[in-house]
Amino acid sequence: MPAIERITIAGAGVVTAIGQDVDAFWSGLLTGADGISAIERFRVDDLRVGQGGEIKKLTRDVAWGRTPDCRASRLLVAAADELRAQTGLRDLGVAPERLAVVVGTALGGVEELERALEGDGGRRRLRGALYDTPGANLARWLGARGPVLTVATACASGATAIGVGADLLRHGQADAVIAGGYDVLCRFVMRGFHALRSLTRDRIRPFDRRRSGLLLGEGAALVLLTRERDWRQRPLGWLRGHASTSDGHHISAPHPEGRGLERAIGLALAEADLSPDDVDFVSAHGTGTPLNDPIETAVLKRALGRRAAAVPVNSIKPVLGHTMGAAATLEAIMCLLASRHGQIPPTRHLEEPDPSCDLDYVPGASPRAARPRVSVSTSLGFGGCNAALVLEGVIA
Amino acid sequence: MRAVGLYTGWGAGVAALPAAARRAAAGQRLLSLGPALITGERFRRSTREALWGLAAVHAMLEDGGAPAEAIAGDRTALLFVTAAAYGPSNRVFIDGGGAGASGASGMHFAYTAPAVLPAEIAIELGVRGAGITLIGGAPATLHAIWQAANCLARGTCDRALVVAVEVFAECGDLYRLAGRWMDGPLVEAAACVWLEPGEGTLRLAGGRRAGAARGRSPLSAAARRRAGELAACEPLAALALWRAAGGAEPLRLTGAWNGEVASLEWESAPDEDGRHTHMTGSAKATESAGGASALPAAAR
Repeated sequence: MPAIERITIAGAGVVTAIGQDVDAFWSGLLTGADGISAIERFRVDDLRVGQGGEIKKLTRDVAWGRTPDCRASRLLVAAADELRAQTGLRDLGVAPERLAVVVGTALGGVEELERALEGDGGRRRLRGALYDTPGANLARWLGARGPVLTVATACASGATAIGVGADLLRHGQADAVIAGGYDVLCRFVMRGFHALRSLTRDRIRPFDRRRSGLLLGEGAALVLLTRERDWRQRPLGWLRGHASTSDGHHISAPHPEGRGLERAIGLALAEADLSPDDVDFVSAHGTGTPLNDPIETAVLKRALGRRAAAVPVNSIKPVLGHTMGAAATLEAIMCLLASRHGQIPPTRHLEEPDPSCDLDYVPGASPRAARPRVSVSTSLGFGGCNAALVLEGVIA
Repeated sequence: MRAVGLYTGWGAGVAALPAAARRAAAGQRLLSLGPALITGERFRRSTREALWGLAAVHAMLEDGGAPAEAIAGDRTALLFVTAAAYGPSNRVFIDGGGAGASGASGMHFAYTAPAVLPAEIAIELGVRGAGITLIGGAPATLHAIWQAANCLARGTCDRALVVAVEVFAECGDLYRLAGRWMDGPLVEAAACVWLEPGEGTLRLAGGRRAGAARGRSPLSAAARRRAGELAACEPLAALALWRAAGGAEPLRLTGAWNGEVASLEWESAPDEDGRHTHMTGSAKATESAGGASALPAAAR
């Protein structure tokens, strides 16, 4: 398979429980900020776990005459506001009909449906309940009139959206693409993971022998994608390859050997025309569930071969919670910031390594000094969804 | 396009479609697919919408005269589109829990994810290649066909299935309340097309009210007139009509949904005698025009 054109990731905008802009997000990852707290926005007293990566107050709540009373849309617009300021999007000269929006989500506007069914808002809420409504709202706010797509590959959505956005650029469908992911913490999803018994009362401890589950979080993360020739400033980095695959194995559990994820990594590297020897860093899905972490370890060993033990691998979910549709985009941004700043954030709360998870998971509380040029970010989701991104950072 | 499978609230295939949906609906605002055709212990937890998607793939296999093994493996891409088929499972999960946390199972929650609808197909038929789920109406399906062509052109897969499912019945009262009855009866549907590499030009244009895609193509207009509002299934129903009518070229499909419009055009490369013999062969870069981009690709 021939290598494909690399796509510039010009800049980013984020809203998370540890920071509501890229600088605060990065600083929080390095200094050990903890985004996990008691959930206050909706009722959790009847759930086994009432903690998550909740954003208490949206500090960048953008004034917009028609801003819908929809949290998902507000998170997206807040992230886009930072992205627009960082990248000078308005000065780029991209015609509105050449600006595309591709967002990934696991939940879409489901909180609107939940509230409507509870009698809050009726028709207004129902109109926002479709999964593609927040993306359409973002496009309206941006004034984007190019293609607007919503990707729903569950918790891999934020990676798939970037890959789909890159394809729009490569094939001339757009001159700039705002791509990324989002999801909100709501009672719907807390009840769901409660029913699955996937949530922990402890901390999220990826790759730790005491790991007992995940905690959910919320957020939005967007990147501006352009063709390399169209971006003259210093970029955040480049997308070299992407692949999204299906396990075809189980509705909610990953393939026991992670074959789908392994294929995704292989395809993404092939698309980038890179080999496992080129990989300097891996951002793992790293949910801290008993099932995920050993599978992911085995996949990385097979995918990276003899170099697996030498490649640092981290998970940032312990401080953010699992932000679902936003997770993969946040992790991709983290990879590129690691290249820029020469530091890899640690996997927090990994204190007693599981013998079956025996790679270099950057344990401890301190970041690792390193300048990864090529990173791989992996994601998995319900429905046997897998995605891998191959990213190239800018090394100062 | 090697094969197509189609079920609508009118019945199986294009033969079941009336000449005019509105007149045939006789005042009904929603036509349901009814209970799933596929049953059995293996599917006891599955949803009506997931099983109709699977039924559409089986119908496609029958149309293509192919066994299920023909689409198994990691060289088959599966692109799934829906505007609203997640609605019933979401609603049932919300209602099922009532005010408390009990009453809703974890497996039930898993089925609320749109990605689980294609997963049911992937699991049953062993489809393990590239997989993408898009949310939206007809424009999203046109993008999915275009993405399928991308996968074929790039060599990521040898065949691509584009599947769309729409079910509305369980949320009919909510659509009425939201004022989303669309233009014509809402008609549940499940459809699937099987695409293979072809030689020709595929052009996609899309955006929010983009001028390039404003007019509805005769084929898409016919699909809507005959079937009603199929949302994401409309382009696949149009392809089924096109195929049934002999597959004249160029093929042009259009779609509109929620402020988004798109059009897709296909013309195969002429053979030695200058005839367009549908779509076979290999993929190669082609021209780009205006707001549209061209891609060598798939589809018959």
